[in-house]
Amino acid sequence: MSSVGIIANPASGTDIRRLVAYGSVFNNQEKVRIVRRILLGLEAAGVQQISYMPDYYGIVERALDALKTSMNILPLVFNAKADQRDSMRAAEILAQNGAGCIITLGGDGTNRVVAKGACNTPILPVSTGTNNVFPYMIEGTIAGLAAGLIAAGKVPQKEGTFTSTQLEVIVEQQLTDVAIVDAVVCDDIFIGSRAVWKMDKIKQVFLNRSSPASIGFSSIGGMLRSIAPHEPFSMVLELGQNGPTVTAPIAPGVVETVSVKNVRMMASGEEVALTHSPCVVALDGEREVEIKRGQQATIRLSTDGPLVVDVEQTMAYAMQKRIFASDVNIN
Amino acid sequence: MDLTNEQLLDMYVTMNKIRTFENRVAELFADGKIPGFVHLYVGEEAVATGVCASLTDQDYITSTHRGHGHLIAKGGDIKLMMAELFGKKTGYCKGKGGSMHIADLNLGIMGANGIVGGGPPLASGAALACQYLGNDGVAVCFFGDGASNQGTTHEAMNLATCWKLPVVFVNENNMYGISSCTLNSMCVPNIADRAAAYDMPGVVVDGNDVIAVCEAAAEGISRARQGKGPSLIECKTYRHRGHFEGDPCAYREDSELEEWKEKDPIPRLEQKLMEIELLTDAKINEIKSGLQKDMADAEQFAEESPFPDVSELTEDVYT
Amino acid sequence: MPNMNFAQALNDAHKVEMERDANIYVAGEDVGVYGGIFGVTAGLLDQFGDKRVKDTPITESAIVGTAVGAATAGLRPVIELMFVDFIGVALDQLYNQAAKMKYMFGGKAKIPMVLRMTCGAGIGAAAQHSQCLEAMFMHLPGLKVVMPSTPNDAKGLLIEAIRDDNPVVFLEHKMLYALEGEVAEGDFTIPFGQADIKREGQDVTIVATANMVHTALSAAEKLAADGISAEVVDPRTLYPLDEEGIIQSVKKTHRLVIVHEEVKFAGSGAEIAAIVAEKAFDYLDAPILRVAAPFCPVPFSQPLEQAFIPSEEEIIDAVKKVME
Repeated sequence: MSSVGIIANPASGTDIRRLVAYGSVFNNQEKVRIVRRILLGLEAAGVQQISYMPDYYGIVERALDALKTSMNILPLVFNAKADQRDSMRAAEILAQNGAGCIITLGGDGTNRVVAKGACNTPILPVSTGTNNVFPYMIEGTIAGLAAGLIAAGKVPQKEGTFTSTQLEVIVEQQLTDVAIVDAVVCDDIFIGSRAVWKMDKIKQVFLNRSSPASIGFSSIGGMLRSIAPHEPFSMVLELGQNGPTVTAPIAPGVVETVSVKNVRMMASGEEVALTHSPCVVALDGEREVEIKRGQQATIRLSTDGPLVVDVEQTMAYAMQKRIFASDVNIN
Repeated sequence: MDLTNEQLLDMYVTMNKIRTFENRVAELFADGKIPGFVHLYVGEEAVATGVCASLTDQDYITSTHRGHGHLIAKGGDIKLMMAELFGKKTGYCKGKGGSMHIADLNLGIMGANGIVGGGPPLASGAALACQYLGNDGVAVCFFGDGASNQGTTHEAMNLATCWKLPVVFVNENNMYGISSCTLNSMCVPNIADRAAAYDMPGVVVDGNDVIAVCEAAAEGISRARQGKGPSLIECKTYRHRGHFEGDPCAYREDSELEEWKEKDPIPRLEQKLMEIELLTDAKINEIKSGLQKDMADAEQFAEESPFPDVSELTEDVYT
Repeated sequence: MPNMNFAQALNDAHKVEMERDANIYVAGEDVGVYGGIFGVTAGLLDQFGDKRVKDTPITESAIVGTAVGAATAGLRPVIELMFVDFIGVALDQLYNQAAKMKYMFGGKAKIPMVLRMTCGAGIGAAAQHSQCLEAMFMHLPGLKVVMPSTPNDAKGLLIEAIRDDNPVVFLEHKMLYALEGEVAEGDFTIPFGQADIKREGQDVTIVATANMVHTALSAAEKLAADGISAEVVDPRTLYPLDEEGIIQSVKKTHRLVIVHEEVKFAGSGAEIAAIVAEKAFDYLDAPILRVAAPFCPVPFSQPLEQAFIPSEEEIIDAVKKVME
C-alpha cells in the first residue's frame, strides 16, 4: 500500500531574518492551505495512507477540517517536544515504517533535520519561506501528485529522484552534524538567535551546491560557478579583507559585496579544516555547532546525502508514460 | 553579535538579581509580609534582561502585571521596589501602587500595569513623543500572550505602523493567561505571525536564551531608532511559578514544568560563560552572595521603613 | 471683543495654544483634512502641519492611550474622540491609565492631556451619538471635567485645560457649536472651579450646565414676567466643582433647582444636591428639585427626543413648585 509522510514545521518562517533582512512572515494558515492542496494531489495520484508529524498547532488536522477524503490519515505517535527534534524523530519513524516519500514544509533548516532522519526515503521539500535553496517553490497540488507518483511506484525512484550531496561537520574526529546546502564558519561563540547576517563575522563558506539564481550564502559561490546538488564536489570560500569581490543576494532583499581571499573546489571524501576556533558553524543558514577553543574541526563532502524527488523529471516521466492521460493523439 | 565580557557578565548578574528578588518575594508573600497579588517572573528572566541590554535611560518601557523583572532589568532600585511591595512610604510609589504599579519615569519605566493589554497604547504614545521630540529614544512594550488577544494591543500596533513609531513590541509568550492555554486562546501558533497584518517584521526567538533575545531586540531597537518603524519579537518562554503566588497550577502538567526547567535561562548562560572562562565557581559564589546581601539590605530597608501616614490618603490624585 | 460661535472659539483656543507651545499636538478621527466633524479643528492642519495635527484611524483606545503615553513622555496632547458615547471602547485607557497613573505612581507622573468629546441630544443622532455622560467622568478620581456653555467660556476653559497638568475631559454640547457670542481676544484663561452667574436673581437658584444654561435663562426670563427672580448659575467645571459659589447663591435665594440633560438618576445634579443638603440644609426653604432627562437612552424620533430633553416648561414648573 502506498504511503506518504508529511512533516510540516509550524515554526518555520518566523526566524530573525524577518528583522535583519526582508523575509516574509510565512503564516501557518498558509501552510494549512498548502497541505490541503498537497493532500488532494496525493489522493489524485492514488496514495492511500498518510502519516504526519503531530504539531502543537495542528497544521494537518486543520487542513483536513475542510476536506473529504478516503485516504487513511493518521498522526505519528511519539512524545513531541515542539522543537526541531520532532522533525527528525518523525522522519526516522516514517523511514522505519517504509513510507514511499516524505513531503516537508519548511525551509533549508527543516529539511536539514529531516534529511538526518529520513535515511533513503525520498524527500519532496516544499518551501514555506523566502530564504531557501533546498526546497522547491512549488504549488502544493503538484507536490502532492509528484510525491504520490513516487510513493505509489508509478514513477520509479531511479527516474524521479536524485541523491543530493551533503556537508559533514567533523569535530575531534566525530561526525557531529550535516548541512544540505551550506556550512558557514562564523567568528562567534553563541548560537543565539541562530541566523547569520553579519558578513564580517563569516570566515569560511562551504557549499555543496550553488547557483547564480539562488538566495543565501550559496549565491556567493553561485556567482562564480554552478554546482548541481548531485555533483560530487563542493566549493570552499575563504572570506577576508582586500581580496577580489563577489556581490551576491545573501538574504532576502540583502545584496552584499564580500571580499574573497581564496576559493577552491573540494572533492567528495576530502576534508578541509576550519580556520577558526572558537567559532560557531551555521548549517543551512542557522548557527548550530559550537566549536570550542582548541577543538579540531573539519568539513567533508559526502555523496550520501538525502534522496530528493525531482518534480520536473517525475512529472515528465508521468507525461511520457501517459499516467494522467489515455491514448490521446496530438494532431 | 559582539557582546563584551562586561555585557555578558552584566546580563548574568541581572538575571540572577531578578531570580533572587523573586524567590525572596515568594517567601515574604508566604510569610504574610507582602499583601495583595504578586506575579513572579521566575523562568522568564532572559527576556527582560536581553531586551533592556540595548536600552538607555532615555528609552521607555511599558510593563505588565508580571513586572518585577522588567523593572530590575531597566535599572530599577530593588530597595525602593521591596519597600513598595511592603506598602511602605519609602517605596517607589509611596506605598500607593504596590507590585502591579511600580514606575520610575526617570528611568523610562512607565509602570507595571494591572490591566492586561493596558500597556501597548502607552508604549506607542511614548514612542510618538520620542519621534515628535526627535530625541532618538525608543519605547519597548512588554506584553504577554494574554494581552496579544486584546484589542488595545492591535490598535497600538496598527497606529505604530501607520505612524512608523519607534516602538518594539516584545511578546513574552509563557503559554498561559492564568489557566487559559494559548492553544485554546489563539488560532495561530505564533503571536509573531500576526505581525504580517501590520506589515511589520515579526520574529520568534527562544525566550530562554538571553543571547538570542538580546540579538533580536538589538536589531528591533536599532531599526526603531533609525526611523524604520516598529517590529514584533515573540519570546517563547515559561513561568516556573503560578500565575500569582498561591496559584495551585492545576491546569498544567508537572512534566511540562520540568521540561521547561531544563531550559532554564540562567544555568544555560552560566554554563556557557564558564566554558569561555568568564565565570568560575568562585566568581559565581561571589555574585550570588553579593545579591543575597543586596536582597537582605532591601528587605531590611522595607521592614524598617514607615507605612504612609493616613493623612496622605488623598494626596497625589491631581498635580 | 470679536463675535464668534462656540466652534470658532474652540478653534481659536487651539491656535493660541499651539502657537505658544510646540509640544502640543492634536489627534483624532477626522481632525485634520476634514477639520473635525463639527469644524472645531478646521484650518489647524494647514497652519501647523501633519506632525502636530494628526488624523487617526478609527481607534479610540489607541487615540486615548497614545495620548496618555505621549503626555507622560513630555508632550501635551489635545485629542478629539468625536462623540462622548465612543468613550466606551477606550475607557480603560482613560480611567485605569490616565486617571490613576499619578496616584498609583506615588505622585510622580504628570499627564497633561485634554480629551475633547461632543455630547448631547437635539439633532436626531439617536442613542449612540447623543448621550451626556458627565457624571460618569466626575466619578473617576484623577480626571477634571469641563462643560462650557458659551463661546467665551469655551475658549478660556480650553486654554486652561491645555495648560493643566492633569487629564481633562472637555465636553462640548453639540447644540452649542453654532451659538454666537463675544469672545475675548488672544491669550486668556478661565480658572477651573469657578462657577459663573449667568443671570442674577433673588428668589431661586437654578444650577444648569451646557445647553441647559440657555434653556434655564429663557425660563428665567419668563419667570421674571411672573414676578419670580431666578439666579442662573453655571458651574462650568464639574470637577473641580465650585461648591462655595453654588452654596453662596443658595444662601441668598434659599431655593435650588438643578437642571442637566443627562439622566436624572445618579446624574451630576444628585451630587450637587447632596453637597447643598450636607452643607447648606439650614438655608433651604424648600426641597431641592432636579430637572433632567428620564432614565432611558436618547431616542431617535423627534417627538421622543424633544420629550427626552428637559424643557423650559419643566424648569418653570419646578421653580414654581419650590416657590410654593
